[in-house]
Amino acid sequence: MSERVIPYNILLEIISNTYELVWRIVPDPEFSVLKEGLKTMEVSLTSGIQKAEEGLPVIGHHFSFPSEFLSCFDAVPICIEGTSYLLSALLPDGCEKYYDLINNWGHPYHTCSSQKGPMGMVLDDLFEFDVIATPTAPCDNTFASYPFFAYKNIPLVITDVPFIHKEKSYIYLAEQLKSDLYKIGEVIGQKPDFDKLKIALNLENQILNYELELFELRKAVPCPVESMINPIVSGIKIFSSGRPEKLAFFKTILNLAKKRYKNKELPPGMKEEKFRSVWPYMTIFFDINLCEWLDRELGMSVLIDIFNYNFEEPIDTSSEDKMFYGMAKKAMNYPMIKESTEFFDTFIENFINVSRDFQADCAIFTSHLGCKQFGSIPQILREALRDELGIPMLIIDVDVGDKRFNSIKIIKDKIKMFTNTLL
Amino acid sequence: MSLQNDPFLNLSNSIFNSYIKEWQDSNKKVVGYYCTYIPEELLHAAKLLPFRIRATGNESTELGDIYMVRFTCSFVRASLDLALKGGFDFFDGYLICNSCDHSRRMYELFHLKVFNREGFKKKIPRFYISVPHVITKAGFLWFKQEIEELKEKIEKNFNIKKITNEDLKESIKIHNENRKLLRDIHELRIQTVPKITGSEALQISMANSSIPKDIANQELKRILKVLNDSEGNKTNQKRIMLVGSIMDNTSFTELIENAGALIVSDFLCFGTRNFLDDINVNGDPLESISKRLYYRMSCPRMMDDHEKRLNFLKSEINRAKIDGVILQRINNCDLHGCDNMLFEHELKDLDIPVFNIDRESFQADTNRLQTRIEAFLEMVK
Repeated sequence: MSERVIPYNILLEIISNTYELVWRIVPDPEFSVLKEGLKTMEVSLTSGIQKAEEGLPVIGHHFSFPSEFLSCFDAVPICIEGTSYLLSALLPDGCEKYYDLINNWGHPYHTCSSQKGPMGMVLDDLFEFDVIATPTAPCDNTFASYPFFAYKNIPLVITDVPFIHKEKSYIYLAEQLKSDLYKIGEVIGQKPDFDKLKIALNLENQILNYELELFELRKAVPCPVESMINPIVSGIKIFSSGRPEKLAFFKTILNLAKKRYKNKELPPGMKEEKFRSVWPYMTIFFDINLCEWLDRELGMSVLIDIFNYNFEEPIDTSSEDKMFYGMAKKAMNYPMIKESTEFFDTFIENFINVSRDFQADCAIFTSHLGCKQFGSIPQILREALRDELGIPMLIIDVDVGDKRFNSIKIIKDKIKMFTNTLL
Repeated sequence: MSLQNDPFLNLSNSIFNSYIKEWQDSNKKVVGYYCTYIPEELLHAAKLLPFRIRATGNESTELGDIYMVRFTCSFVRASLDLALKGGFDFFDGYLICNSCDHSRRMYELFHLKVFNREGFKKKIPRFYISVPHVITKAGFLWFKQEIEELKEKIEKNFNIKKITNEDLKESIKIHNENRKLLRDIHELRIQTVPKITGSEALQISMANSSIPKDIANQELKRILKVLNDSEGNKTNQKRIMLVGSIMDNTSFTELIENAGALIVSDFLCFGTRNFLDDINVNGDPLESISKRLYYRMSCPRMMDDHEKRLNFLKSEINRAKIDGVILQRINNCDLHGCDNMLFEHELKDLDIPVFNIDRESFQADTNRLQTRIEAFLEMVK
């Protein structure tokens, strides 16, 4: 076992155990998305841990510095935010111990729990990063929290993301992405292999077609995919990007959705689709079972969340310049980064269109404690959805990675009361 | 000290003032802004009065709370609240940059909810500049281009034929003089017998950002004379440096100074961060303005510049013979919260007494703050 990535070892163990348990106990087709998701992430994590055992460098990265960008190195990519939230999803008390460790060290309580986990783990010597790569987006938490890693003497490579979407922004970012990959290479003693990067990007282009097709199918009434798809896709995007198992995941889920759509089948366990909800922000990570509860107990489909509605263009890999330009465009249009690096009008317009296209009858906005960049949006979006489409939106204050802020019971109660008003 | 009830300092207690009225009566325009990363000199050169947005005196956030969730900053919420009540209706334009997640969204909210509200007729142009979050050569070129584009937008929106280099140079001269005067006053604050309190220094800085700079310069010269002639504070009070989130009222500084300490230096937006660096008067003026803004003493929004900020703190602690440092943040201010976290460890490693606390923008939770501040001051040798 590699001592340099202890939390990843823990994650792998929990994922493998949960997968085995779900696979052995729950008959098909129940929990199909969860099963496929766990299988996919198990493959990706196993590969990372094997590389760590071989002594390859460990590169920490922000979730919005997509891991496929790091495929030009023989290294172990570790997603900072993904680690926090996957552990939150799979362990009863998630990362709370590490949130408390870093809070006791002086980190403000109101910052994002996604970064608090690995910060606490670094204090506890559970990770040995060779370098950490982060963009300056999407939020104050990112600018504010990552310098802690530099304080702990971990080399920090920072890619500046402009807070405005213009042609010049993509050019500015493309130049930085390229030079920052060289900087990472310098730290870990490797030259970036852009041929390997190209292979990963081409694979992502291929995956995009499946994602888009799945996106269209999810508009169907009833929605043929279980709500669990939302948090699972967030995990897959973070842990398995640029890797063949991600392609396999989307192929399988797409086939499943097609079959259900053809037979007009509901997701397993859902008796009737009573409510069609859109979640303009995230679902809850500390208890992803909420999605199953919504399907089974409330008959509420979570048609889409922020990690599932936003698609970038395929990347032109025909030349190095085009490739980096495409990567910059992808990075700036990555879920959450897109909405955070432009004025909120586009986000609101997009979500009105999404809600219309998906025939949603309600929206639920999880206003996450860490995300100050979205702190001015919920009410405006609520008014816009009401005025344009006549659909109501529930706003719930949460920490999506820490149950102690608002427990799952409170969240469920709020949703239940909200649905009572919809009937 | 003899600045009690000084008319210049009193300007900091209100938002609108007679100088703004006089300015607008002569058909000149006022542009509101939040952050020290905006080019005041450019606005001044365009014959616009830059007014730094604050919510002094507004202790309510009821209306602001409708549009901003509860875990946003109470300073920005209070200023939005004031705007929704019509407190900034005198603006003829506003300029926002991506200084922090809270204030940058005012670009949209002011437009949507304040200046397009029912019954408000005036058309208010809005401007935005995107400031990089790291200090690099490429970042500077980006920023410079943003400033150049802003100049064009200002010319277009305010029907200005051209903001000339001469206009810019004249503006630079006035603003450099302004910063020099503020630095001179600061020198009287950090000396062994301080001639000014922290609360007064804060008031001067706020007043300075609320009126035309040529008038401010005259007032600062007058105040300098008053201070030079004064005996200063000869008591043996604890010398404190105050660091962190923005302050737009003196309630917190008074809490510290009434507890038997004197704030002899600071690292605040309405404070030293605003006047440390000057603009090079040689060379292309717009480039020089951009350079000063981009490379100046940063705030925590600049992600890769913590060391420079720490070095300033260390040097100022030494220069101003600081007995203890109070780090404060407005609740939900992630930027200062995390910067303060690192400062706390770094200063403790240097055996400098340090105290880290959260507060609201307006005075709230006074007893807790007072008790903790007094306890800290007792600890300071």
